[in-house]
Amino acid sequence: MTNNVNDSSNNSDFICEPVILVQGGARTIAKAFLEKSALGVRDATLDGYRVLKNGGSCIDAVVKAVQALEDNPYFNAGHGSVINEAGEVEMHALVMRGDTCDMGGCLCVKHVKNPVKAARLILDESDYCLLSAEATLQVARQHGLEERPLEYFITDVSRQKKKNYEDSRSIQKDFDKRGEHDTVGAVALDCLGNLACATSTGGRNVPMVGRVSDSSICGSGGFADNNSVAVSTTGDGEAIMKVNLARMISMYVEQGMSPQQATIKSLNHMKARVGGKGGAISVDGSGRVGVHFTTQNMSWARIGGKFQNETTYSNDCVQFGTDCTNIRTEKI
Amino acid sequence: MITNGNSSSNDPDFICDPVIVVHGGAWKIPSDIHEHSALGVRDAAVTGHRVLKNGGSCIDAVVKAVEALEDNPYFDAGHGSVLNEAGEVEMHALVMRGDTCDMGGCLCVKHVKNPVKAARLILDESHHCLLSGEAALTLARQHGLEERPLEYFITDESRKEMKDYKNYSASIHELFDSQDGHDTVGAVALDCHGNLACATSTGGINAQKVGRISDSPIGGSGGFADNNSIAVSTTGHGESIMKVNLARMISMYVEHGMSPQQATMKSLNHMKARVGGSGGAISVDGSGRVGVHFTTQNMSWARVGGKFQNETTYSNDCVQFGTDCTNFRTEKI
Repeated sequence: MTNNVNDSSNNSDFICEPVILVQGGARTIAKAFLEKSALGVRDATLDGYRVLKNGGSCIDAVVKAVQALEDNPYFNAGHGSVINEAGEVEMHALVMRGDTCDMGGCLCVKHVKNPVKAARLILDESDYCLLSAEATLQVARQHGLEERPLEYFITDVSRQKKKNYEDSRSIQKDFDKRGEHDTVGAVALDCLGNLACATSTGGRNVPMVGRVSDSSICGSGGFADNNSVAVSTTGDGEAIMKVNLARMISMYVEQGMSPQQATIKSLNHMKARVGGKGGAISVDGSGRVGVHFTTQNMSWARIGGKFQNETTYSNDCVQFGTDCTNIRTEKI
Repeated sequence: MITNGNSSSNDPDFICDPVIVVHGGAWKIPSDIHEHSALGVRDAAVTGHRVLKNGGSCIDAVVKAVEALEDNPYFDAGHGSVLNEAGEVEMHALVMRGDTCDMGGCLCVKHVKNPVKAARLILDESHHCLLSGEAALTLARQHGLEERPLEYFITDESRKEMKDYKNYSASIHELFDSQDGHDTVGAVALDCHGNLACATSTGGINAQKVGRISDSPIGGSGGFADNNSIAVSTTGHGESIMKVNLARMISMYVEHGMSPQQATMKSLNHMKARVGGSGGAISVDGSGRVGVHFTTQNMSWARVGGKFQNETTYSNDCVQFGTDCTNFRTEKI
């Protein structure tokens, strides 16, 4: 059979229509940033989908999508990461593949322009699942990943977030009200039926130096298993870790729930059990999609898959928004 | 009501008889260490039980038990930790409390004599769940935790292991692939107030890359505790444990109605089938049902109290311990 690489359905291994979802963080998005967030996730989804449409793997797709968001200063990952107590940036990322359940995670990383690529290296090139900052940097340098000076990562937005936090501290000592805890992430189902997830973040606003985010931790920041679902989470990182949000969602799907039901149940549990808010995106092997958040907003976008009551795929348009009511659809 | 400090049953908040279970690692224990391992976990369980018997909290009990194993050179935690590629020691630990599901984890820690105490500090004194080496050390120093030079942590055993299994892949193959595993230490406890807690501590895997992070400090992998289900501590091939989130799996099966023992067996079998990893876990739920299972050749374990397998009554006056599931001993305490 002749393979037309531009049409995955002519691929002799083709099993299903690909799906990609992207999230740009669950939090209250300031009005001034709503449009940029919506367009940012839309564009990242298009980047990831282009990979899938050409028969590319789910891993390549999620890494491409997350990389686009890391390069976008309006998201708390890579360029645009929040600043820690020492005025520096420490980033965390995870990539997990659902065929083998293998993963690569990096934490407290500095200098690397795209931490999701470092996580990918750890997945592909090492026997390990999680490496500390120095070890990650070593692996990244061995493979020639691009680096940037501190000034690249810090934007006016992140400086402002730090200032807002410091100004409010004298009034509001409540740690949970720091507000900023966005992350970026993507999940994908490729035409071969494989699932993958990727998550990346600069952490919570003004964290303690050395605080590790849930985003680099499998079962918390993300999870992928072809037998259930690929998930990427965002929100109150400590709460996500306390309940293992991604693994919860996957186990509910294993037990028969749809990704959407599993996500709603798990986020409600997180709220009730440990008082934390957040969001998650997911897709399973049959293309059923989950998108839910308990914060005011979550920027998200998707191409393909079945969402809510849909019965057919929609591969020719991208759906995106910053909440669950004002959803836009554009032809691609 | 007058509270007799020596008997938890006179405590007005008393709900149940306490339980403690301890493990010293799932791996192929060399024959010359069997006895040391068995006695080590026995003594740690008795130490932890003493805390519980006096009405102490499950958190204090698990920390005390794990501390005893960290101080014992025959276990891969604290004093006796294995060496990494650079000939140094990097330790990881976790403490999680089941009443709030709050946790404290520290990774790649050096110098601190008892990493489990650093994890406890992160739980109690910080808003965070997981701190890297430098940050954990800073916190430890702020609170005056004891430190030791590198020579304290390295034992003849860990030097020998480094010599025998010169690289990480060989270690994995020898210690894991052939039904063997590697050790970590841990404890789970149910106190007389009905609260659950877990603690896990390790020096990692022989000849690991500098900066390789173990499953042990990760909530959901190295351990998990929720009063609504169970307290678990895991051991074995760390990467496999992380890929399936072993501790969280076990807890979710218990949430769905399985006993700790059934949940542990199912989860370990899944880990073997799905990602090819061997390991073990101990657990206890709010009604005192205990789970002990491992897919490696051995796991040193000990327990005081609780209901195990087909038992219907508690056994608070003796400690049960062993290095496999057939030859276990019982001694009065």
